[in-house]
Amino acid sequence: MLALTRRKGESLVVDNHIEVTVLEIRGDQVKIGISAPKDVPIYRKEVYLQIREENQAALKSAGPEDLKDIF
Amino acid sequence: MKVNTRIFGEIEIQEEKIIHFTDGIIGFPDCKDFTLIFDEKKGNRGGISWLQSIDEPVFALPVIDPLLIKENYNPVVEDELLTSLGNLTQENTFILVTVTVPRDLKEMSVNLKAPIVINVDNHKACQIIIDDDLPVKYKIYELLMARKAGE
Repeated sequence: MLALTRRKGESLVVDNHIEVTVLEIRGDQVKIGISAPKDVPIYRKEVYLQIREENQAALKSAGPEDLKDIF
Repeated sequence: MKVNTRIFGEIEIQEEKIIHFTDGIIGFPDCKDFTLIFDEKKGNRGGISWLQSIDEPVFALPVIDPLLIKENYNPVVEDELLTSLGNLTQENTFILVTVTVPRDLKEMSVNLKAPIVINVDNHKACQIIIDDDLPVKYKIYELLMARKAGE
């Protein structure tokens, strides 16, 4: 992971077309602004991980044979 | 082309039927090519089909049409997130949600928060995360049992 220190108002440019800016710093919270093309999805990591975890659970699901008993 | 699968053994699929996820599935960015399998021989098992990975034989996601679960499922989706799918219309858009079937079948659920959107014209697809407060584990066992009893 690349770690850079920024002050309020300073930015990072990622991959030529994504800009990450530190908008506000209040105590232990940082307000981050991201400018990216609208087709670039941006998610809070907890949400992303929750979906990834659910996909993993779905992958471990019972197969068609097991479902035969329910239907 | 022949595809090796864990659940269905070796299957034959037509290349035009390959569904391509530009960014893969969430958490699995490298799994991009899939085919949709439904067990025709055994009939429609509660409407559940499988999204089988072409690249990974063990990767088979059970999926279902969310409208079979929730008639009014109509989440707000930012159009821009679907640009990789090309020109989407009401007629060519097909939505699926993943089904999670744990050991305890009564805990079966669908993920309404991260549906899979497919353009049936060009076979491009993506999985998107909806902003709305939708459940990741929407329980469906009771609903499916009630439906089965009603048949």
